[in-house]
Amino acid sequence: MDPRTRLFLVACVGLLAVSLDRPGSLGLLCFVCLLPLCALRISAAWWRRGALAIAAVVWATLLSQGLFYRALPRVPLVELGPIVVWKEGVFWGLVQSLRFVATILAGIALAVSTPPDRLHAALLRLGVPFTLSFLAATALRTVPDAARTVVVVRAARAERGRPVWRRSPWAWLRLEVSLLRPVVAESLRRARALAESLDARGFSAGAPRAVARPLRFAAWEIPVLAVAATITLTAVGMRLLFALYTAEALYIPALRPLYGFIRRSL
Amino acid sequence: MLALDGLGYRYPGSAAPAVRDVDLTVAPGELVLLTGPTGCGKSTVLRLAAGLLGRHGSGVVAGSVRVAGRDPKDVAPAERVRSVGFVAQNPSRQVITGTLADEVGFAMESAGFGRAAIEARVPELLADVGLAAYSPDRSPRALSGGELQRLMVAAARSAGAGLLVLDEPLAHLDPEGAATLTRRLREVADAGVAVLLVEHRLGPTLPVCDRVVVMDAGTTVAQFPAASPDAALLRRLGLRIPGQTATATAPPVDPGRLLLDARGLEFTWPGADALALRDVSVSVRAGEQIAILGPNGSGKSTLLGALLGGRSTSVAKHGRGVRVPQDPDLALFSASVRAELEYGPREARRPDVGAVADRAAAALSVEALADRAPQALSRGQRLRVAVAAALACEPDVLALDEPTSGQDHDQVERMMTALPSPDRALLFATHDEDLARRHATRVWRLDGGRLVLDRPAGDAFGEAG
Repeated sequence: MDPRTRLFLVACVGLLAVSLDRPGSLGLLCFVCLLPLCALRISAAWWRRGALAIAAVVWATLLSQGLFYRALPRVPLVELGPIVVWKEGVFWGLVQSLRFVATILAGIALAVSTPPDRLHAALLRLGVPFTLSFLAATALRTVPDAARTVVVVRAARAERGRPVWRRSPWAWLRLEVSLLRPVVAESLRRARALAESLDARGFSAGAPRAVARPLRFAAWEIPVLAVAATITLTAVGMRLLFALYTAEALYIPALRPLYGFIRRSL
Repeated sequence: MLALDGLGYRYPGSAAPAVRDVDLTVAPGELVLLTGPTGCGKSTVLRLAAGLLGRHGSGVVAGSVRVAGRDPKDVAPAERVRSVGFVAQNPSRQVITGTLADEVGFAMESAGFGRAAIEARVPELLADVGLAAYSPDRSPRALSGGELQRLMVAAARSAGAGLLVLDEPLAHLDPEGAATLTRRLREVADAGVAVLLVEHRLGPTLPVCDRVVVMDAGTTVAQFPAASPDAALLRRLGLRIPGQTATATAPPVDPGRLLLDARGLEFTWPGADALALRDVSVSVRAGEQIAILGPNGSGKSTLLGALLGGRSTSVAKHGRGVRVPQDPDLALFSASVRAELEYGPREARRPDVGAVADRAAAALSVEALADRAPQALSRGQRLRVAVAAALACEPDVLALDEPTSGQDHDQVERMMTALPSPDRALLFATHDEDLARRHATRVWRLDGGRLVLDRPAGDAFGEAG
């Protein structure tokens, strides 16, 4: 798939995530974003880590929104003395976390399936300046390197000490922070080596460059782009229409069934 | 092509110059080897020659550098790349792009070559370095270390540089990869390019070089034709003397108790189709010093990981193992060397933490570094601290993954002679067969993830001739 198609699909997911407002529709969006990840060969360990991270995000968002929801009306869901978890807050937290999860899943699918150089080429073709697109692609490329470094550092530490959880929370936290030291030092060394390599091969941020490799859309990508654009524009359009209605700026009586559909389903 | 005249350089914040009074010339078609002990300033000279030092910051340059009559640091990068190409030590860290074609074409893009010229030249350059069999769309990360370093040579030359400078390009390569690369460098020089090569490994480099320049303590101390090297000088500076093949000097040991026993061990990396280890059966006993040999990608590091770090039911562990990773920096996470050495015994709740750390520090001669930050030490010091930290855990099995990378002969020898113990097994994965001859009592040889040899060192090297 052309990297421009992938970028476009991620942009569509981002727009849909802010346009949709119901847990059901956002859950469907998350499911769709999960499909390409299932097609990639991701190890069980990384699935576990990812699921844990997403569960932590959802839980933290639900709890914080549930506790600190201020809008009225609101109904208590759980009361523990002075601590109240509000039902509307939990619902709003669910919506927010699903938006986050959908965009993160789409971003991960893009990052895992697209070589940074293809992303760089796509950004260039979309008119992003060379320096910015190169910066983005290079930053993306460092993610797997940093992840590998973390795995090696943790393994090296584990062989010299007790399991991390067999200590007080404070000692655990201090240990985790100290493990960042070699990760940061290694990242700096990698960055320095890459900078030297770029300098040695004539890279200069301001200098004009020839771009050697063309990009081409496959025939089947055009209908995919058209469908994604149609769905996204329709959802965004309906959301705008609904926003005008709720703001009492524009009300078209003939669209009452549509307003109902948007309220119930989007 | 290259002329260094009275060259000196002092790094910012340093009182003494890192290099001084360096005189060196390299003519077109000449391949010159610049060698010397670790930390003598070779890499600094190389970076000055490539125009990569002295342009930014407050470092002080003395003397002059001329590449084709001009100082490369005064030339814009897009223009400089047409006259000088640079290849660094670790090939995987130099990769800029995601395909072979883009990697080779990058310098040409910088220099402003047109698309047609780039598309025509890239296949030629890939063929020149023996990579024509691969698709130009292949990812560089799918290449072996030797292939990747050859790709870097092609990338450095692509814009037509008349001078090629390389900083220890063999450090991460197996003997076959090193031999192939040095042959290619000879061909590059024969095509009229001036080549300046910094390298510790004299064995594969001397046969292809025209001239050897030796540095010590920041300055050039000798030069001679590669055909008649000054063996006494090289030996005095702790460099490996080519042609002097060591016999197995590690005395045979009576193996002690069983520490590790693997039967039919197999391993597959997540997401990979092929097995990285196939049906490996080995045992490790106290007192043994086992060298793990094999080409790049044969599974040496994977085997160390599977034996010591994995949870495979195929491995029975009867003792504690600690590995020092290929990049020892990744095992250094404490704020000071002292804290690093005390981490292991403290975790084991030893009552004599200080004494254990002191013994480990003395064994690796790092006592004087106790208050220094490990990540701020030199590469050789970082390796010694990482090994000392592993020793402080008093492991039954100590494993070193490629301990010779970027280290000179004397440093490695001092470290390796400190490690044997009748109560402990030592495993070390290495490309360096001489190191294995000197320090191994047993040899495992891997090829394609299979154990193809498991013999006492005397037998193994005797059979190899």
